[in-house]
Amino acid sequence: MTTSPFSRRRALQLIGLAGGAAVLGPVLAACGSSDGARALAGNAPVSGRFDGVTLKLLVNQPHVTSFRDVLAPAWKTASGGDLDVTAAPYDQLTSKQILDVQSGTGEFDVFDYFYFGLGDLVDAGALTDLTAWIDTNKDKIDVAGYLPSIYDPYTLLGGKRYGLPYDGDVHILFYNAELLDRYKVEPPKTWDEYDAVSAKITTDARGSAYGAIVSGQQVPMILGCSFINRLTGYGGELVDANGKPALTSDAAIAAANHLVAVAPSALPTPLQIGFDQANQAFLSGQGALLDTWTDMALRAEDPTASKIAGRWGAVSLPVGGTNTTPRTALDAGFGLGISTAAKNPDAAAAFVVWATAAAQNLSVSSTAGAGIDPIRGAVLGADGYAKVVTKAIGPIREGLGGHPLVWPKEAGAPKLLQDLVDQLALAIAGSQTVEQSLGNAQSSWEKSLT
Amino acid sequence: MSRRVPLWLALPAVAGLLLFLVYPTGYLIALAITHSSLAHPLRSFSGADNFSSALASAAFVPSLWRSTVFAVLATVATTTLGLALAVLLRARGTKFGVVGALLLLPLVTAPVLIGVAWKLLLAPVGGGFAQTFSAIGLGGFNPLGSGVGAFLVILLIHVWQWTPFAVLISFAALGVVRPELLESARIDGAGAWRTFSTVVWPAIAPTQWAVAVLELVIGYKVFDLIVVITAGGPGFATTLSPYAIYQTGLRGSFDMGTAAAQTLIFAAVVGAVATIVTGARARALKAEGS
Repeated sequence: MTTSPFSRRRALQLIGLAGGAAVLGPVLAACGSSDGARALAGNAPVSGRFDGVTLKLLVNQPHVTSFRDVLAPAWKTASGGDLDVTAAPYDQLTSKQILDVQSGTGEFDVFDYFYFGLGDLVDAGALTDLTAWIDTNKDKIDVAGYLPSIYDPYTLLGGKRYGLPYDGDVHILFYNAELLDRYKVEPPKTWDEYDAVSAKITTDARGSAYGAIVSGQQVPMILGCSFINRLTGYGGELVDANGKPALTSDAAIAAANHLVAVAPSALPTPLQIGFDQANQAFLSGQGALLDTWTDMALRAEDPTASKIAGRWGAVSLPVGGTNTTPRTALDAGFGLGISTAAKNPDAAAAFVVWATAAAQNLSVSSTAGAGIDPIRGAVLGADGYAKVVTKAIGPIREGLGGHPLVWPKEAGAPKLLQDLVDQLALAIAGSQTVEQSLGNAQSSWEKSLT
Repeated sequence: MSRRVPLWLALPAVAGLLLFLVYPTGYLIALAITHSSLAHPLRSFSGADNFSSALASAAFVPSLWRSTVFAVLATVATTTLGLALAVLLRARGTKFGVVGALLLLPLVTAPVLIGVAWKLLLAPVGGGFAQTFSAIGLGGFNPLGSGVGAFLVILLIHVWQWTPFAVLISFAALGVVRPELLESARIDGAGAWRTFSTVVWPAIAPTQWAVAVLELVIGYKVFDLIVVITAGGPGFATTLSPYAIYQTGLRGSFDMGTAAAQTLIFAAVVGAVATIVTGARARALKAEGS
């Protein structure tokens, strides 16, 4: 006798399982999470002594030096308090911050947060509302001193403020002056010139160097930056004035086409190139052109980390198409916020004010390897800062002092950006056309934004 | 005469089942049928929305097919190579020996270390193999630069890592083949292949099928190598289902509801393929026995 694998008993088991699940879902949903919104009182301190208090910080990996080596000793002197710094990889930072609060662990007091993750963090109830506290202490915090180009984008969401700016990230174009001289080419002012320089150096160097380093790792902070740098160059926007996605504009298509077209002459292989690989290749003299964060100026000039010290230069990001005005974007960028689960909110508040003050911002912005850029006008205009970033000061001031493109930061923005870079990666890999990729990304963005 | 066993004696087992099987499974199902994000799990009932969203994902649906191809290729390669190496080791004697121990090294090395090591070796500029590629006229060769190349590299590394597992089990299984049967076959003039197919294989077939099922499941679970070496790229070429689910739940969207639905769909696919393989095993063993 043969027996069917789908016996009556098995069928009843499956029906029972499905029925149980149908009942379980709503029941558990009723026990689901709730918002943990918390606001800091207006009379919370902006300074003070915190002897014996240890603040726990969850920070972006490349910022560890700034917190641990520069700010921690100075904070100890200034307040008597200690800093316990935990680093998270840049592609896991926002999720770890949400999990810290949502899991109930509540280990950290201060979050070093991506501004484009602000909406998700607020939606998760992970960041304390600082609106009243900032409004009450505007002068003591010296709010007017923050760069206008980044203050609102980094801290404001839905009319409320959730942090203070910490790292004013924009990109400029760095070049290896020695390679450009050797192959008799000039720093590019347009993306077409960039292509020509890249192709000539890669061809003539025959594998000993590459004309361009294109960072294409499939995460928003890397490939997203590379695309958006070109998008601003061609005069495009991510969303138009009405808030509608503009990913199928001529500028967007030109930007994505540029990423695809430059790949053959770029350091192999753009989709494998992340932050560390790009920096290492540029600093070791393997690549001639790299659009990256402005703190590269300090790294490039540091002879202990760079083989091109004194032999590099920087210009504003190239332009293309009909656009003739260079413009950068707020590529990544960080604020300091207070966790809603903070065990020492007063000390955290005082620390956030202190760490984003001009003196500390100048200190970390002037430290090689700290990975921090100016967030205050006083620092951007300071001679001390100009002295350490040397040849890059012009494009840095032009970028941060201008009107850089702001990335989306509403709840769900990281997903939109991930959708965009996923589609761009397919185009770069040759799996689909640029138009298909941007069309798919546009559809995804329209579903969420309109 | 039958003895009644008090029901409470089953409590530890029942408690274990509730804690480690029923609750996690129930929670997973609940996530799959509710609007759930990392920040707000179990927010509200969503019906089948998460399953629709899972099936509409550009990364997930192709990853099911990709994972199946990967797992099947990996199973065939690891099981075959493992058995071949075990036979060679057994030919040297009954002891596993130093060579056998060395063979096990990839198995006992942390997968993240394996990934980092291979990534450094395969880096197109400055990587450990870059000079070798140049020396044989393949300067600039970058196997991770293309979709097919990256998929094959991950497959190769996985096979390198998990073949020792098959070697270990197969070596032990070969120990149950009775020497007098091998001796009889030799006296009867059977060659190596005939001896293997008619004497050795029937004895070790049940074990080999078990190894195949285990390797299949292991092949479906590959995650760490992808995170370290390719991050699912280029494009989605190495985005296998576990990585796609991780991306949905913990990167970018933090959409735990859809990630849970994807997990259930993936589990159904793995279950279906595993059922086919175990069915084939049952038929094969029955045929061997008849």
